[in-house]
Amino acid sequence: MVKIALEWLASCSGCEISVLDLHEGILNLLDNAEIVYAPVLVDTKEIPDDIDIALVSGSVRNQENKKRLEELREKSKTLIAYGTCACFGGITGMADLYSPEEVTRRSYSDNPSTDPSEVPSEVVPELLPIVHPAGDLVEIDYYLPGCPPKEWLVRDILVPLINGEEPNIPKKSVCADCSRRMDHDEFDTIHRRIEGEPDPEKCFLSQGYICLGSATLGRCGALCTKAGIPCHGCGGPSLDILREPNHDIYNCLINRISHLSKMPGKDVEKQIYDIGHLIYGFCIGSTIMEDKKVSLITELVKK
Amino acid sequence: MKQIEISPVTRIEGHAKITVQLDDSGNVSDAHFHVMEIRGFEKFLEGAAVEEAPRITPRICGICQTAHHLSSAKATDAVFGLKPPETAEKLRELMLMGQYIHSHSLHFYFLGAPDLIMGPDADPAERNVVGIIKKDPELAKMAIKTRAIGQRITTAVGGKPIHPVTAIPGGQSKALTTEEREKILLDAKEAIGLIENGIGVAKPLFEQYSEAIETLGPVETYFGSLTDNGNLSLYDGPMKVIDKDGSTVHEFEPADYLDYIEEKVQPWSYLKFPYLKQIGFPEGNYRVGPLARLNVVDAVPTEKASALYGEFKDTYGIAQNTLLYHYARLIELMYAAERAVELLEDDAITGTDIRNHLNEPLMSRKDAEESDAKMRGVGIIEAPRGPLIHDYETDGAGIIQRANLIVATGQNNLSMDIGVRETAKALIHGDEISEGLKNRLEMVIRAYDPCLSCATHMLNGESPLVVDIHDSEGDLVKRRII
Repeated sequence: MVKIALEWLASCSGCEISVLDLHEGILNLLDNAEIVYAPVLVDTKEIPDDIDIALVSGSVRNQENKKRLEELREKSKTLIAYGTCACFGGITGMADLYSPEEVTRRSYSDNPSTDPSEVPSEVVPELLPIVHPAGDLVEIDYYLPGCPPKEWLVRDILVPLINGEEPNIPKKSVCADCSRRMDHDEFDTIHRRIEGEPDPEKCFLSQGYICLGSATLGRCGALCTKAGIPCHGCGGPSLDILREPNHDIYNCLINRISHLSKMPGKDVEKQIYDIGHLIYGFCIGSTIMEDKKVSLITELVKK
Repeated sequence: MKQIEISPVTRIEGHAKITVQLDDSGNVSDAHFHVMEIRGFEKFLEGAAVEEAPRITPRICGICQTAHHLSSAKATDAVFGLKPPETAEKLRELMLMGQYIHSHSLHFYFLGAPDLIMGPDADPAERNVVGIIKKDPELAKMAIKTRAIGQRITTAVGGKPIHPVTAIPGGQSKALTTEEREKILLDAKEAIGLIENGIGVAKPLFEQYSEAIETLGPVETYFGSLTDNGNLSLYDGPMKVIDKDGSTVHEFEPADYLDYIEEKVQPWSYLKFPYLKQIGFPEGNYRVGPLARLNVVDAVPTEKASALYGEFKDTYGIAQNTLLYHYARLIELMYAAERAVELLEDDAITGTDIRNHLNEPLMSRKDAEESDAKMRGVGIIEAPRGPLIHDYETDGAGIIQRANLIVATGQNNLSMDIGVRETAKALIHGDEISEGLKNRLEMVIRAYDPCLSCATHMLNGESPLVVDIHDSEGDLVKRRII
């Protein structure tokens, strides 16, 4: 039996739920594998020594997360960074837009419903000043981004690994699965999502709405754009962006909007509001993304 | 002095530990429930356009994602003064029923029930859903099927099963097609049968473990929930608070929550402790969630759930026993499936008028910076674990200036803490603590189905070692924390 472990760090639990969303498929998975550690499902309190495949979700936010991640790495033959938080810091990384002190003040001493107080410090683990993706701290064997990864991906990666084979999973961007029509439309205004009514047949970018589909790894089936909502980049950067040092989500988007509209790049940049939440929302914690020459992450992160 | 530590608390959502202090004679002197994790959404929402909040905040929790999505969307409706059309409101309520079917069945079958089905003293290696799969594969398949139906409803209405996206200020971004409606109507009808069978399995367990129900997690509290003229109402309504005799203490509109709810900080937990402000801390301790809802309401307005509710009420009255949360959860699971059928049988559900738009253009960001104009919106919903409050204040352009969130689980924090302490005091005498005994302390926590991923209000910390890289001008270009 192949021994599988699931560990969560600072996360929303959505990654674990996506594993459960295999539904009946879990029963088949358990024919040849056993879950030896998974705090959400089983009572084992210590990470066992001989894990074959470990899935780690969430980002590293505090000392306990860090300790558990290092222990898990040490005890696992194959470690999978499962989900965008583990791969790129995820939405938790948005905390890096503010200093820890600013955040502390908002929650404990300048909060409309809270009796002002000191920050908790007994028993609870010390928080790290910035958010780290798991992959920035330990060696990872497979990265499987997605917020969360679609349930079928866990099957497509786990089944081959359990059988000792190399998994083969899609590498296209979200646009590849989106059926909206991309037109050159000479628009001159970037819209907020609250404004106007987007044409359901037409590419959001072609209509001046910020959509990260072209800069985001697919595998989600473009579910958001099909449901009338522009891509927010939750699948993490596309492979093009990850591979090219001069390719970044921000510049990729500016170039594309400029190409689709009549606006020069500089005019597009003037109209882009809120780069932190809208453009880098899911990867602001990532060293891979921050290290790019053209990245704006360094300017955004506060400590 | 000796300390017992249970870490991590398992089969709950998120990171927590229990500590129990023993005095020299081996009796419990103190015990606490510690929430170990925090992320900081309240701060990092600041600066975001408020219409983005409904797609950022579901990431607070991958289990109650839909509840966050909807509470957030309701707050944004209020910010822009937009009332969604009838169909959009019905779609949102249907999405919430998908949330309940998934979350309540997840908790009962996967997280809570192993303690009852396998027994609180069973081998911990077997006392989990995998153990149930081995012991009773048919029951496990039924559990998996029920939860799958919840996720299918959420997908059809919300676009995705985890972190749905379709609720937007003023309505919904996607109508429900007739094909989707037919499919999930069949699903929802099937769920009613599955849930009936599940309750058939569960009921004898509540009788078998009546002693545990009497003794684990003792606490007496106020209860709070939304109601619709006395009816169970999960999507909307004023909030009502009752005392232990069932008398109404408060009834208020969500936007007025600051007059009634205050939060206390304790040094040993990242999760704050909400209490009834006018009564004070800790006397104003109140509980929320399935048990609170059944205590607060006078009726559950669907057929089968109503019958179950009547039976529950006749047996327990205003129920204080913590383990009865499980029973109440199953009654609500039935309500959610029945309500989903009602909503799906209503022709309005496939309507195409699903979104109202802004009448006037938004103030530009530049104008907003020079103006004192402010907008505020409060959204409230009954999440599976209790009332979930999103409160956003924005500038004139709708950019978030301040966000305040009170999550359901926080409101049960004090009761979980007291429950652990009182249970430890009653059960632990001497240093030899059996595994089953420790598990009983965890059972107190599990009954509340706490969702600690939601406990995300802050972050802090000093850097142990910081490396700053400056350029030739002396400006900081990079900071690395080692």
